[in-house]
Amino acid sequence: MKNRVVITGLGIVSPIGIGVGQFWKAALEARSGITAIRSFDPFPMETYRSRIAGQVGDFNPSQYLEAVHANRVDRYAQFALTAVKEALADSGLRMEEETPHRVGVIVGAGMGGMVMGEREITTLYRNQKPHRVHPNFIPVITLNSASGIVAMAHGAKGPNLTISTACSSSAHAIGQALTCIRTGQADVVITAGADASITPLVFAGFCSLRVLSTGFNDDPARASRPFDRARDGFVMGEGAGALILESLAHARRRKARMYAEVAGYAATSEAYHMVIPREDGVDVAATMSLALRDAAVLPAQVDYINAHATSTPIGDVVEVRAIRRVFKTRAERVSVNATKSMIGHTLGAAGAIGGIVCALALDTGLVHPTVNYDDPDPDCALQGIARETRRRPLKVALLNAFGFGSNNAAVVFKTLIR
Amino acid sequence: MTALGDYLKRDPNTIRPDDHLRDDLGLDSMATIELLYQIEEAFDFQIPDQDLQKLLTVADVIGYVEGRLRPSSPARATGRTGKRLPAKKKG
Repeated sequence: MKNRVVITGLGIVSPIGIGVGQFWKAALEARSGITAIRSFDPFPMETYRSRIAGQVGDFNPSQYLEAVHANRVDRYAQFALTAVKEALADSGLRMEEETPHRVGVIVGAGMGGMVMGEREITTLYRNQKPHRVHPNFIPVITLNSASGIVAMAHGAKGPNLTISTACSSSAHAIGQALTCIRTGQADVVITAGADASITPLVFAGFCSLRVLSTGFNDDPARASRPFDRARDGFVMGEGAGALILESLAHARRRKARMYAEVAGYAATSEAYHMVIPREDGVDVAATMSLALRDAAVLPAQVDYINAHATSTPIGDVVEVRAIRRVFKTRAERVSVNATKSMIGHTLGAAGAIGGIVCALALDTGLVHPTVNYDDPDPDCALQGIARETRRRPLKVALLNAFGFGSNNAAVVFKTLIR
Repeated sequence: MTALGDYLKRDPNTIRPDDHLRDDLGLDSMATIELLYQIEEAFDFQIPDQDLQKLLTVADVIGYVEGRLRPSSPARATGRTGKRLPAKKKG
């Protein structure tokens, strides 16, 4: 018998709030966290096609973290540490009462330590002094710096993994944490996703790829508009999400509060194209179906979908096509929303933040709005997408996340009968 | 058309103006973006995202480049207008 897995703690760093309370309140109020990028010193913003992002303003690591941890890692890992600290406190888990080898850490990250990465590369080529490359450069840019520092901060000695599948990274982190606990490798997995790479080079790269919104530079709050006819690309975001996953038995033993059960997961590759999804959506549909089967849930039982919905012209259409394929007539009745409409696309953090939203939705019965859904695009409009917060009896939620590299993930969450 | 021939690694003479970039030449959206990236470099101007959807055929691209290089044309968006003409304009 496989262990059942539940979520007992949540933590978040996002463009609309640091901390779950602030984030959820802002999300239910449809607040946008998309703002103009002040500068990529020394480059004027006019040299960039897109000039806006979902930025985490006034993040002061020392307010949340001990210097011994914060100073050793890049911004994305500081975000992860901050979100994990909140999630652990929220869960009530006391590490001193746990067997350290039974607590794992799985973090999803798409880009990693690019703030220091870019700075050191620039300095090296400008000054031409290889012996002046910072000694902490390698530990900081190594992609598992976040999962490593999280374990060190909390003494978690179980499986420690980093998953990097671009924008689906932390949906897979949740799925792999589920697998890890199901199979008995760990009792608890600290699960997170983080990215903070709104940097001169990475941002320029996304501009060159022509995937970012460029038509709303003067009106940032309107730029991220999933499913809307005027959408013209995604808005880059940054942030982190953390979820404490543990076996149901372990959570019951310590009388923990449970937000939801993580009931199923699927991972697939389209084996198709580095950045373009298959237009017919069959692989996305297959991923959702496999996750539902893993959770022993029928499409007719799904109440809510936290869509990947990045606000690109093609991506949103493919996802809705896939939803129609899986859910048939129910596609028009299931509640669907796009968290990215408010915070932009947080890349490696997107899956974890979507997972947090699923947990909060199941826990509260509230589906946050999709902002800027002003003129539904018939190619990707659904009755269940709403511009205002809706209260619904929710029992089953589905999280979608798709990444460059032809990568798909889907995770199913269920309410627990209390 | 030379730029296109170079990009596709094929004889420019086999490319016709009414060839569709995707349907005839097999360029997916990523490949089209790479091609336009090379055109931006060759002719020293920027192509805003909004113009991409107008560029479906070889003739569209040639017409667009010529339009952008014409001194009387109004400067578009952020791009510099191509004042410096590269020696090799087109095939």
